[in-house]
Amino acid sequence: MMRLSWPRRVGLWIGNLCAIAFLLLPFVPVVLGSLQSEKSIQQDTRALLPAECTLANFRLILSGGRTKGPIFEQVSYLPKSVERFPSAFLNSLVVGVGVTGGALAAASLSAYALARLRLRWTQALLQASVISRMIPLVVLMVPLYVLFRRYNLLNSLSGVIVAEIGLLLPYAVLILVPYFATLPPELEDAARIDGCTRWQAFLRVVLPLSTPGLAACGVILFILSWHELLVPLILVSRPEFMTVPVVLAGLVSDYFVFFTLMMAICLLGLLPTLILVLALQKFVVRGLVSGAVKG
Amino acid sequence: MRAGELSAGRLALLLNAPALAGLFLVLAYPICFAGYLSLHTVSIRELRSGEFPFAGLANFARLLADPVFWLALRHTFVFVAASVLLEVLIGLAIALVISDERVWLSRLTRVLILVPWAVPPVVNGLLWSFILNAQFGYLNRVLHKLGLISEYINWLGHPWLAMGAVVAAYVWRTTPFNVLLYHAALQGIPATLYEAAAVDGASPWQSLWQVTLPLLRPMVAVTLILRTTFGFMVFDEILAITQGGPGNDTWVAAWYTYRRAFQPPFDIGLGAASAWILAIIVGLIALAYVRLVYRRVEYA
Repeated sequence: MMRLSWPRRVGLWIGNLCAIAFLLLPFVPVVLGSLQSEKSIQQDTRALLPAECTLANFRLILSGGRTKGPIFEQVSYLPKSVERFPSAFLNSLVVGVGVTGGALAAASLSAYALARLRLRWTQALLQASVISRMIPLVVLMVPLYVLFRRYNLLNSLSGVIVAEIGLLLPYAVLILVPYFATLPPELEDAARIDGCTRWQAFLRVVLPLSTPGLAACGVILFILSWHELLVPLILVSRPEFMTVPVVLAGLVSDYFVFFTLMMAICLLGLLPTLILVLALQKFVVRGLVSGAVKG
Repeated sequence: MRAGELSAGRLALLLNAPALAGLFLVLAYPICFAGYLSLHTVSIRELRSGEFPFAGLANFARLLADPVFWLALRHTFVFVAASVLLEVLIGLAIALVISDERVWLSRLTRVLILVPWAVPPVVNGLLWSFILNAQFGYLNRVLHKLGLISEYINWLGHPWLAMGAVVAAYVWRTTPFNVLLYHAALQGIPATLYEAAAVDGASPWQSLWQVTLPLLRPMVAVTLILRTTFGFMVFDEILAITQGGPGNDTWVAAWYTYRRAFQPPFDIGLGAASAWILAIIVGLIALAYVRLVYRRVEYA
């Protein structure tokens, strides 16, 4: 590699600093907001830093509204979202795990077939997956709502899981196909010469070798499921089945918004996927890039 | 093939059975069913009774006569054009500054690049609604401290500012995806090309325009189409930041469909009709995309 001239080096440093500012600056007000009391944010609307920091908002939310905090100096009632947050968090976990497991199982079978057995209709299926990923979700939600209503699948976590598996499956296939395609077919040939059937070769040779691909696909599926608002918003109306995004969306329609509480609840809601992305970054990046172009 | 073993075709069918069932149940059948619904009167009363009277093209007629539908369509195109342009430009700029491994700081930027992508869309909307809030928001606080404004601005109260706010929030969350793709494409450009350009006397600026950007063109084309179709889906940020307001000034197509079908008076027939028109617009773009990407069958 050539050495960088110093003006270019300085330019790239400034560019990187700007990029980091772009990525992180919006979090600063969120953190500042969540750490102060509603009173302090309303009293001084010119101040940047809170007069004093408190974790009362987080305590209030994590206890489901039972810990009486300083917020009650302002109000006598709390947004419903605060009480619902802990159970919504559990619901989101259940849905996320169910969707990840279900979609990963179906997608790995399908992606293997699409990568290995090149037939005309399997290639058409691949292209159909690309197209189906581009259909706006709201288009599907109108008929899905009527169908789910007809078959009594509204207001259940399994209904949400089934719908999300179906909607995310094409994307999962698109992420996995390139992984399976890069495995040398000679490995399976060798296994089959040793007496394995295709199915055994898939289970014992292909799957273990593609754990990085499965991990990448799995973590992306979990994150997308955690982010999903429209599906549970439309398929669920009873509080006990709401997921985190639905509960958070409930803050919008509240007559009066408590911004400090809202920011604290937002931070708690984004924390799981933020941690996943930072911890498993390599997998997420590879999965996104691999599923992107043809998907 | 051994005796008793499935042929490739049958095996492919068997392995694809779950995915095919999923595609059919949650995608193909609902889209056809939406077509059926769009031709029938479907509202609360019909949902309860389970009988949908045939309405012919009445839903489409009402849709095309609804000025809010045209407004929402126009806003969608404005939103998509603005957000795609920004996603590509900011995405390219960030990808170019993080791709030079010789700058130590770029490692940190690469670690942080996916942070906005990790934020749930509805959370993204809520946090921007706080930043932009007229009374308590931090944008006003910062601008006032810097002496750039004397009076606080009601960012979400003005039609164009509100649309700009939604675009800004959306672009912040989605640009990292573009950065990843451009970064991957940049890494595929061999260093020898830059060395050859330098030997030929090209300045860094010239090699950017003559080498880097032309080689990025296929990836830019891909992201242009992908982001366009995704732009048509924008919903969460609208819900969390403006709820379509002020007035109807940030109603977009997805929001229109949602409001008409799932809010009073629950006009599902009309919602299905607008969903179909949205699907046709996006479907045409998606078909063009598939023809572009699958000219040669290969897995990158």
